[in-house]
Amino acid sequence: MDSEDDMHDANDAESLDDDFYSGETAMDSDDGDAADYEFIDNDSDDSDDLLSRRSQQNYTILNESDIHLRQEDDIMKIASILSISNVAAAILLRHYNWSVSKVNDEWFADEEKVRRVVGLLEDPRALPNVKELTCGICFEVYSSDSMRSAACGHPFCVTCWQGYISTSINDGPGCLMLRCPDPSCSAAVGQDMIVSMASHEDTEKYQRYFLRSFVEDNRKTKWCPAPGCDYAVDFIVGGGTFDVTCGCSYSFCWNCTEEAHRPVDCDTVSKWIMKNSAESENMNWILANSKPCPKCKRPIEKNQGCMHITCTPPCKFEFCWLCLGAWSDHGERTGGFYACNRYEAAKQEGVYDDTEKRREMAKNSLERYTHYYERWATNQSSRQKALADLQQMQSIHLEKLSDRQGQPESQLKFITEAWLQIVECRRVLKWTYAYGYYLPEREHGKRQFFEYLQGEAESGLERLHQCAEKELQTYLTGGPSKDFNEFRMKLAGLTSVTRNYFENLVRALENGLSDVDGHGGSSRTGGTRSLGAGSSKSRGSRSKGAARSSRATDDSAHWSCEYCTFANAKSATVCQMCQQRR
Amino acid sequence: MVDFSRVQKELQECNRDINVSGISVNPKSDNLTNLIGTIPGPIGTPYEGGTFKIDINLPDGYPFEPPKMKFATKVWHPNISSQSGAICLDILKDQWSPALTLKTALLSIQALLSAPEPDDPQDAVVAQQYLKDYQTFASTARYWTESFAKISSLGVEEKVQKLVEMGFPEGLVRSTLEVVGGDENMALEKLCSA
Ligand SMILES: [Zn+2]
Ligand SMILES: [Zn+2]
Ligand SMILES: [Zn+2]
Ligand SMILES: [Zn+2]
Ligand SMILES: [Zn+2]
Ligand SMILES: [Zn+2]
Ligand SMILES: [Zn+2]
Repeated sequence: MDSEDDMHDANDAESLDDDFYSGETAMDSDDGDAADYEFIDNDSDDSDDLLSRRSQQNYTILNESDIHLRQEDDIMKIASILSISNVAAAILLRHYNWSVSKVNDEWFADEEKVRRVVGLLEDPRALPNVKELTCGICFEVYSSDSMRSAACGHPFCVTCWQGYISTSINDGPGCLMLRCPDPSCSAAVGQDMIVSMASHEDTEKYQRYFLRSFVEDNRKTKWCPAPGCDYAVDFIVGGGTFDVTCGCSYSFCWNCTEEAHRPVDCDTVSKWIMKNSAESENMNWILANSKPCPKCKRPIEKNQGCMHITCTPPCKFEFCWLCLGAWSDHGERTGGFYACNRYEAAKQEGVYDDTEKRREMAKNSLERYTHYYERWATNQSSRQKALADLQQMQSIHLEKLSDRQGQPESQLKFITEAWLQIVECRRVLKWTYAYGYYLPEREHGKRQFFEYLQGEAESGLERLHQCAEKELQTYLTGGPSKDFNEFRMKLAGLTSVTRNYFENLVRALENGLSDVDGHGGSSRTGGTRSLGAGSSKSRGSRSKGAARSSRATDDSAHWSCEYCTFANAKSATVCQMCQQRR
Repeated sequence: MVDFSRVQKELQECNRDINVSGISVNPKSDNLTNLIGTIPGPIGTPYEGGTFKIDINLPDGYPFEPPKMKFATKVWHPNISSQSGAICLDILKDQWSPALTLKTALLSIQALLSAPEPDDPQDAVVAQQYLKDYQTFASTARYWTESFAKISSLGVEEKVQKLVEMGFPEGLVRSTLEVVGGDENMALEKLCSA
């Protein structure tokens, strides 16, 4: 979306809202419906924050020619500041890991020492002035005009230089620090000399290493870890998160180069990944992509991303992929619409301890781990599936939909946005399970609050996923429908609500759920303050809102606001979100 | 492809001052890629009086790639494997330079015998002993030198006789023994492979 435009209209909350829905200005069709979703950005400061946060990047994506240009630039800079050749500047920069400031500092602190360490001689020596010389490698005698030397004047024949250079290049990036072959000499061999004697193929290799070094040995840059991606990311350390999105669209953590993992930190990710590989043998069965239908026992393959599974006819049993419980049990009665995150609750309800053996297993940490891992992995594969769906949507379905519903494709961006949001939410949700695994059992209040937030997130996302996946089907297969605009409103609204909720969730978890057990009433520190945007239905359907607030009563550390559903800390008497009294 | 013309030059050069250095390099077989180096144990060390054989193998990239060297004679030393004879020495790895030679490499190995570097061990057991109980280390090293690195007490004539009895022609036995520096087992190996 074009944030520049948004900023112009920033004082007009309405138009901002429009932008949130679909990136379209065309909400004119049904103003009544649009009003339904107005509460999403009930405070326009929030969306301002959001937009400026997005447009502020603390990193730059570099393609090969960008890298090349920057490298050349730095070399020229050093060459002109220190009044040395470009070749010498390159040697210096390579030695100090391409840090212009470090080269500067070291050079002006002690030039002589730097020259010695790096192998740059102040007074280059020519070859000895005699007619014939013995090559120090092949021990043959040659006329001196067929000999070469680095700045030190140690003579070697061209053939031996070629062998020396070629061996070094084929040995790896160490060739960038090549020195004179004489064992007692440390004179650097510059790029010009190497290129003048290396074969075409070796020169290419050398240039490759040279370019790669600028990324790999540079503290500020890293390659994108996505397979086959050639972009590098230049990162300004300090402030902000480490999450970056590469030009190839892969999002990763610049710090640990794992896939983007907000809201959990890098340490947790590496612990979790290690844990996973340690447990992977035990986990193999979990990854199996099919489970028996709990009713007819036929194996069911989960082929849609959402957790709501319907068995093939004639059985048609609807169940939850995670707990294999009947989908009908997943309503309010069991404490949560679409929610299936409540491991503890499930255990207490007896789902997991039918037998004594099961009870024993419950004590086993593996089962606890399994609970989190399975949900982590399921969200991971749901995310993969959503990515594939998104691609299919863009390549096939949008065109088809445009045909069927008589809408220009430009009016269908809300669908792409919905899918992008699903992909992002699956990623966040996935990591909340690693977060949950490491959240100490003894922090009871936090755990309860966490599970509540996660449950809300999960149900919000399930709603969005359902809508984008299943409800869309009717419009893809049927003819033009007058309901299509309503569908647009609903999906765009869900997308926006869900985005908001997840962004707040991420912040709350990153803050270590600091509002819990603190003086929730007094702090408005961004944390959990607007998490309540989780339910778009609460306005339209009072009954569900009511159910939600009654559910929250068994979560003793919190109360759920009756108006906006926000989970407030027990100590608060006024809702932090909407300022309504309890 | 190994630069054989250089290897030839190296052999001539090395064997020219054998009386001064005590270091020699000889081809193990007809092709010049497998060689045998000999170094005397440095005086004033537990290796004194021993003669140590080094197996030398020249890789295709020689001299741009380092020669592969390992002890053929068993030796008790922190930087040399007591099992395999593998040597931990920087110039045989990343510090190799094509301007070095087999002789300079052997000289470095000889220097290593004089000055072990137990902090960068090849044989952890030996290195531990060297650091914790130098006396035991020194006597073990001396014992190994006595047992494995001394030209056997058998005189040359007795060795010749033994090998001739095994069915090899006397002339060949004598020249072979000479090439391998009087080592009976190596001579036998060479005679069998010829
Ligand atoms: Zn030469
Ligand atoms: Zn030099
Ligand atoms: Zn990339
Ligand atoms: Zn990270
Ligand atoms: Zn079934
Ligand atoms: Zn369930
Ligand atoms: Zn409220």
